Amino acid sequence: MPLKEAVELVKKGRMYAQRTKFKEALAYYNKALTLDPKYAEGWYFRASALIDMGNPAEALADCERALAINPSFSEVWSKKGLALFNLERFDDALFACTRALNLNSNDALAWYIKGVCLDELDRPEEAQEAYGKSLELEIILDMDAERRKIGR
Amino acid sequence: MKTEIPLSKQIRYFISVTEEVLDTEISLLRDPEADPSGTLVDVYTYPIEKNVIIFPTQYIGLLKDFVLAKHCTHLLMKGAAAKKAQYKVCSFTEDSTYRGMRQIYIDALKDEAKKESKLPVEKLIKMLNILFMHFQEDINELPWNTIVNASVYHQMPKIRKTQLYHLMKESKADMDEMMDQESIIPRRYFVLNKAMFYARDLYLANTLPADELKPVINIPQMKKFDHLEVKEMLTTRWTHTAWYQSKVFGDTMLEIVDDHLNRVNWNEKPSLEYYYELYQIGVNLTNHLLKYMTMSDWFVWESPKHLLGAMDNKNRYEIEALKKIFGDLITESLEEQK
Repeated sequence: MPLKEAVELVKKGRMYAQRTKFKEALAYYNKALTLDPKYAEGWYFRASALIDMGNPAEALADCERALAINPSFSEVWSKKGLALFNLERFDDALFACTRALNLNSNDALAWYIKGVCLDELDRPEEAQEAYGKSLELEIILDMDAERRKIGR
Repeated sequence: MKTEIPLSKQIRYFISVTEEVLDTEISLLRDPEADPSGTLVDVYTYPIEKNVIIFPTQYIGLLKDFVLAKHCTHLLMKGAAAKKAQYKVCSFTEDSTYRGMRQIYIDALKDEAKKESKLPVEKLIKMLNILFMHFQEDINELPWNTIVNASVYHQMPKIRKTQLYHLMKESKADMDEMMDQESIIPRRYFVLNKAMFYARDLYLANTLPADELKPVINIPQMKKFDHLEVKEMLTTRWTHTAWYQSKVFGDTMLEIVDDHLNRVNWNEKPSLEYYYELYQIGVNLTNHLLKYMTMSDWFVWESPKHLLGAMDNKNRYEIEALKKIFGDLITESLEEQK
């Protein structure tokens, strides 16, 4: 179980990240991870912020830390795929996304990154298939977001 | 463009072509509150240094790619116009506002005369400018939206499924406009508004091609008009409904759209000349639609800066128009409102 204080700090960090205030978010994530370095979600959210800040190499290192704690953390595999894609390591990114999808086949981002990697690797037919899966899931996400808006 | 957002090869290429052709920069922004169609904030409309395309956070894959393709195409037309000649939009002045509101008032009076429950005068007065501005907004969007979608389809046929989802969603939302006010606003304007969207949807349904986008299939109120026989058309009471009339006017508007857009070579290589030609076609199409709706003197082709200024003066234009339409009857109450 992660430390309560660390969980709270990550929550605060996420609030900043949602408003694209990544520096502030990072400060909270750092505090949380100093308190509890075994908190895999903390590493995951820090990796997300680092990607958004244009630092995929550090994000990749955070993903590795999170996976060392919890190798079945599917979102981290997906994030790792994104970091690797941004580092133009398309083969490795494809592998990471495939792992993510083996753990959770409903990950729209992982399907999309798989598609773009396959495109980069000149495998257009497989890319189209991955894009198709990604779109199906994205539409579900979009409809959910619309419903939430109407409900507000 | 430098972005951490993953993009497909095709869209990355299209964004870089856009930047190259226009010698400009585009940045991308995710926003949880963004409009579902995304928003383009561009250097040709606003006094800013960089173009920004804003899209909803939940668009992580092809939905995002489609929104980007759409706004890049629109940006190309705006930029080409600005570079080749001058980028102009449908703006309005004090005089044109008066002409538009006066026409709406005359039509509203005709409708009111036939109604059993009359619209309160205050509501009627308020409606004049709301409707006028509604058409100003729609005419600045609809012809361009049609061109942009046709262009994206031909340039990027691989994202057709995504485009279709987007269009069906957009179409339903557009057709829902004014629904609450159907009994209030003059029939003519309800019909013209729906007819414009009908023509756009049917044109794109034929272009993609996608039967499911046809208004008589996609729009619940129009479903009953699918495969109508002539006899049925003549004998049923449908012919008197606003939705049926929208279909009739929409079919004529489709002919106008077809007439202008069928001459476009959609597969041409992106260049400043090509997108300038598309812009000119958009201007001509807009003028033709305005003429068909007898709204030619409601708006003026002016710079985006003029439109921003007109928006700032919108309330004053409305008051001046009301004074001219109603004379002394209204001047006092307007002064009180101020």
